[in-house]
Amino acid sequence: MLELRDVQTYYGNIQALKGISLKVNQGEVVTLIGSNGAGKTTTLRTIQGLNRPRYGTILFEGKALETLPTDTIVRLGISQSPEGRLVFPRMTVRENLEMGAFSRSDKEGIAQDMERALNLFPRLRERLAQKAGTLSGGEQQMLAIGRALMARPRLLLLDEPSMGLAPMLVEQIFQTVIEINEQGTTVLLVEQNARMALAVADRGYVLQTGRIVLEDTGPNLLRSETVRKAYLGEH
Amino acid sequence: MSPAVRTGISAGLLAVVVVLLFGNLSGVVLGLLAGAGAAILLDSRVEWPNRNAAIVGGATAGAVAGLLILVGQFIHDLFLMPLAGQPVATAPGSTLQAGLIAVVLAALAGAAVGAIVTQAERPRQLGLLGLLVAFVILFPFLDQQIQLGWTPTVISVLIYVVLALGLNIVVGYAGLLDLGYAAFFAIGAYTTGLLLSPQIGINWDHPLSFWLVIWIAAAVAGLFGLILGAPTLPLRGDYLAIVTLGFGEIVPIVFRNLTRVEIKEPFTGTCLIGCDKAINLTGGEAGINPISHPWLPLVGQFRTGQDLPWYFLIVAIIALTIFLISRLRNSRLGRAWTAMREDELAASSMGIDIVRTKLLAFAMGATFSGFGGAFFASYISAIFPGVFDFSVSVIILCMVILGGLGNITGVILGGLIIMMSDRLFLPQLATLVKNILNTSVLPTIADPAMKDFVATSVDPSQFRLLLFGLTLVIMMLVRPEGLIPNVRRRAEFHEAEAGAEATVATEAKAPAK
Repeated sequence: MLELRDVQTYYGNIQALKGISLKVNQGEVVTLIGSNGAGKTTTLRTIQGLNRPRYGTILFEGKALETLPTDTIVRLGISQSPEGRLVFPRMTVRENLEMGAFSRSDKEGIAQDMERALNLFPRLRERLAQKAGTLSGGEQQMLAIGRALMARPRLLLLDEPSMGLAPMLVEQIFQTVIEINEQGTTVLLVEQNARMALAVADRGYVLQTGRIVLEDTGPNLLRSETVRKAYLGEH
Repeated sequence: MSPAVRTGISAGLLAVVVVLLFGNLSGVVLGLLAGAGAAILLDSRVEWPNRNAAIVGGATAGAVAGLLILVGQFIHDLFLMPLAGQPVATAPGSTLQAGLIAVVLAALAGAAVGAIVTQAERPRQLGLLGLLVAFVILFPFLDQQIQLGWTPTVISVLIYVVLALGLNIVVGYAGLLDLGYAAFFAIGAYTTGLLLSPQIGINWDHPLSFWLVIWIAAAVAGLFGLILGAPTLPLRGDYLAIVTLGFGEIVPIVFRNLTRVEIKEPFTGTCLIGCDKAINLTGGEAGINPISHPWLPLVGQFRTGQDLPWYFLIVAIIALTIFLISRLRNSRLGRAWTAMREDELAASSMGIDIVRTKLLAFAMGATFSGFGGAFFASYISAIFPGVFDFSVSVIILCMVILGGLGNITGVILGGLIIMMSDRLFLPQLATLVKNILNTSVLPTIADPAMKDFVATSVDPSQFRLLLFGLTLVIMMLVRPEGLIPNVRRRAEFHEAEAGAEATVATEAKAPAK
């Protein structure tokens, strides 16, 4: 479904991605783990066209994305819940969700997806008229994911959905990720919380300073020596 | 003291200030305004049990305001006028008469508003709108009838209201601080000037040409909005403000200097434009003059000194502007502006094209100042670069901030308050103070140095900028969101409090889980 081939992205002169190649197949949950500054967020931003790769190709269902503007990419079926729960704080929960469907114009479909998002996150339904900035951290994360779903993506990019959340909430969020995937959305999940991410993922890639150093199925990576040492804090 | 009396007093006090300045029959206009204003204010503070209560309440508030105006009339006619050395033009009887008319009109206006505000949502809105429209339409006739002579000033004030509405798109909706907005006003005015004057030999003489030129001016201004907006795209906050400030300075200087235009082909030196004689494009410091006036069937030629057609033209432009802007606000583009202002990064990952959204904000804002510029050029019939300097940009920005960023009603109110004070009230105050000084104060001062000092330094029109500054400082401290804030902006300024409440709420809920 999505394929990156030797993608290299720069911030000015600094090379953030030093040749990333990865694949996401239809229906999978694929995770990208790695420490701070490994290039996880940059990879997602590059896929969505928010950063441009200097070299390499990005194919989504056979279509090259490198030069397409972000709104076209969103319309093709890739949406993102950005890192740090970037909700629109002064808009209500409902308005935030509506903004997620900005690139669409089918009113009925939007209403359906609103319903679907609210069923996934019943908490949001109670707070539809509330300003997003007044939600708790967990609720904002739910809103960010719900908003990304409003674009009716076939591929959902999740950037660190567990960041700064209490363990119980993290569990709940990952549960929802599985649910979303079961409803037919392919997920590319970027995480620092490797244990949780690998537990829900079909496959995973380990990213280190802009390069992919390991790739395997989720369970295998969980057992791998390197991963256990570097990311799960075991010795 | 009942709330009706209290609101009547606050509205009346504001009106009295104006009546004290102008006297005569100004109380008639002010009575209508104060009566309606008091009733609206009252309605926002009181729950009405039934319609009659509202009518009585409105009428009471209006009457109280009117009574204050009556008192103001007497003070003006019997005390201030003699002090200013002017003969008491009107006998006490006619002062009483003018005051009583004000009381009656204020009470009627209050009662009418009272009757309307208790209607259901829809007729209520229509009714208030109807009252406003009626007042706006009747104002110039009333003004003529009572010989107040405010209409020309009101016309130039309304030009600035159009500009403020346009700037509100850029600053209020899209959140881009633009300190050089007068540049687009200038571009609209100069476009009109070039097309409708003999300056460069175009002097388009068709009777209906103005009606086409005003759209051309808006389009040209919009185009320059795009062009000047483009370099600011990567900039945010302070940096954006500085660059727009630069543009605001550059544009009038360019107009000042385009007096000998001659374009040569760079390589061969073949002359392309202005070969025989360099073209004087903008007339330099002297500007462009005369610019022709609009013409309409039935109305005929618009003329300087005949204010009615001009007044209704600018009112029509404002109505169109309000209509277009409120449509824009609720459009996709409007939502994109709000999202961009909230969080640029999140907005772009929703698929909002930030470049396009920003450029369109500049272009749309500039377009409306193009309308204002075209009207201004034709109305004044002459334009100079000095009219479009930095202080204009600042005043327009003040109007937007005073009234309430992002709120159309607020911006109009802010514009009216600032420009009316600047163009009407302060000059009148200056005249009055000067007259009083000359007749009643100066003769009593013996020391010639002191006399000289008082005569030259007590001049309210010189305090103009000081007063603006003070107003803004006080506003920022007391009510940073503006007089009538946009709901979202209000949340922004009171975020800390709202955030604190939310945290408390979540914490209170947490143990219950």
